[in-house]
Amino acid sequence: MEFGEPGQGMKALDDVSLEIRANEFFTLLGPSGCGKTTLLRLIAGFEQPTSGVIRLYGEAMQDLPPFRRPVNTVFQSYALFPHMTVAQNIAFGLEMRGLGRAEIDRTVSAMLELVKLPDVGRRRADQLSGGQQQRIALARALANRPKVLLLDESLSALDLKLRKEMQIELKRLQADTGITFIFVTHDQEEALTMSDRIAVMSKGRILQIGTPSAIYEAPVNRTVADFIGETNFLTGEGTPEGLRLADGQCLALNEPASGPLTLAVRPERIRLSDQGNLEGRLEDIVYLGTDTIYLLEVAGQSGFRVRRQNDEGAGNGLHPGARVRIQVPAAALRVLAE
Amino acid sequence: MSTLQQRQQARQLRHRLLLSAPAMAMLGVFLLVPLGIMLLVSVLQGGDYGGVKWGEYSFEAYVSFFYERDLDDSLVFNTDYLQIFQRSLWLSVLTTAGCLLIGFPTALYLALQDEKRRNLLLFLVTVPFWTNLLVRVYAWILLLRNGGLVDSGLGLFGFDGSLGILYSDAAVIVGLLYSFLPFMVLPIYTSLEKLDWRLVEAAFDLGANRRKALQRVIVPLAMPGIVAGTLLVFIPSLGNYIIPELLGGGKSLMIGNLIQLQFGTAHNWPLGAALAFVLLALVLLAMLSYNLRFRQPAMEGHA
Repeated sequence: MEFGEPGQGMKALDDVSLEIRANEFFTLLGPSGCGKTTLLRLIAGFEQPTSGVIRLYGEAMQDLPPFRRPVNTVFQSYALFPHMTVAQNIAFGLEMRGLGRAEIDRTVSAMLELVKLPDVGRRRADQLSGGQQQRIALARALANRPKVLLLDESLSALDLKLRKEMQIELKRLQADTGITFIFVTHDQEEALTMSDRIAVMSKGRILQIGTPSAIYEAPVNRTVADFIGETNFLTGEGTPEGLRLADGQCLALNEPASGPLTLAVRPERIRLSDQGNLEGRLEDIVYLGTDTIYLLEVAGQSGFRVRRQNDEGAGNGLHPGARVRIQVPAAALRVLAE
Repeated sequence: MSTLQQRQQARQLRHRLLLSAPAMAMLGVFLLVPLGIMLLVSVLQGGDYGGVKWGEYSFEAYVSFFYERDLDDSLVFNTDYLQIFQRSLWLSVLTTAGCLLIGFPTALYLALQDEKRRNLLLFLVTVPFWTNLLVRVYAWILLLRNGGLVDSGLGLFGFDGSLGILYSDAAVIVGLLYSFLPFMVLPIYTSLEKLDWRLVEAAFDLGANRRKALQRVIVPLAMPGIVAGTLLVFIPSLGNYIIPELLGGGKSLMIGNLIQLQFGTAHNWPLGAALAFVLLALVLLAMLSYNLRFRQPAMEGHA
């Protein structure tokens, strides 16, 4: 599928192809401007693809107007109707489908129960707090029992505590309703917490699709590795013995490779150890409560991070400037495609 | 409450009075005083050749609005003036409805254009204001008269020429529609321009087709503009003078012409003033009913 403004060289989406399974919590993750919201709007029907098809359960949808698609959206701004009460907001979609009054009333109160706000039906939408509006937007979209629910950066307007609550809440709702959720976010932590699978996007392309652990443990390239979590990059020359760094240190690899290489390693997989296989100079120590980050200079490269949990004996009297050895397990190293 | 706070409040009150004084003076001199004079004139005895006899009070003007004095001085119910009021109301309602029918789609179209085009089109809407209204109304006389462009144009469709559109109610409505349309378009455009179009997307998303989205989301949210536009068209067209005078000939009188007639040829100032007050009452009534109908729901929302 492609999407671009006619007459412009830039494509907002370029050769995007993905398959989302039924009942899946699927996340489109990427920095702003990567095309994830455009992709969502294409699925919802607010934009038409320049080329390509969108299928839902085998049925081509790309030519249907939004009101004919069994898809509902929770908008980033919530887009609750300000001239209606909460109950009228939730009832809107049901009325559009021509349901009877009794059934509408039943569904509205069921939806309000579902999002745990049973008493706000008669209030106006703009009298609710941000978190409540968020829940009502969810209830309104779910009331139609869509086959797919689209969520556009739906949690980004909430404060941290509320966001954490809603993350768990969304997971629960998805499990309870059995509806496929497609969630758009730029927050990698949110994506990792909630998703069954994640598609990492950048510059209108999909870089990698996989489960949170696959994406985190085995990023396919530097952009993905850099975007998801903290990552250290080691560059050097592949030799039969392993990776030769700029200062001549050599790191053993499980599978020998040749030529210029970039390797990624997560900071929490590295240990400080006198018998370690790499040497570096300690630049700084950042205490984070549960963890401590040790910033090292390794092979002339500054900002190499080692993250250790603060259990007994951690840190034991290290000071910036000291030379330390670190143990980088071969299993934790990922060779990245450039 | 401490004396300091009291003193502060007193000072604030003084400031507010001082700041609003020019506006108050303006309203007093240019609104209340003339209205007071008119009210006085309406309850005075008319002079023989125009003017009034000061100090001689009479409700004759208000009485003669409904009754005619017979030869033997008995009062007979007379609907002449009421008919003119009724026609004025009817023409104004038709004008307002017509303006709404043309103005809303126009405003919606304007609001949906990109910014550059929108500014150009808005400019075009206001272009007629650049020419004097009188000149534009005379242009309509040329268009509407027998053998004029409209008349001969309709003749092509099998209508007999010389339809006599000019000097009829139809001509008055055309003229009113033409001159008040921008007053409907602009306020509706203003409220549509502020509209959050994501709400319309949300309506589509929830299964509303175009008609439903218009009916359930766009029109209710544009209601302040629609109300403002309706008042801006209805009230001035109810009291309009120049258009029925020129396009209605002598035949299609409206309230404005009737009032002018009393102060002019009829030399009956008290009746003219009384008619003006009846018109004012009508307008206030219209505004009051509008307030009751449209302001209340909005107030409930904040209760």
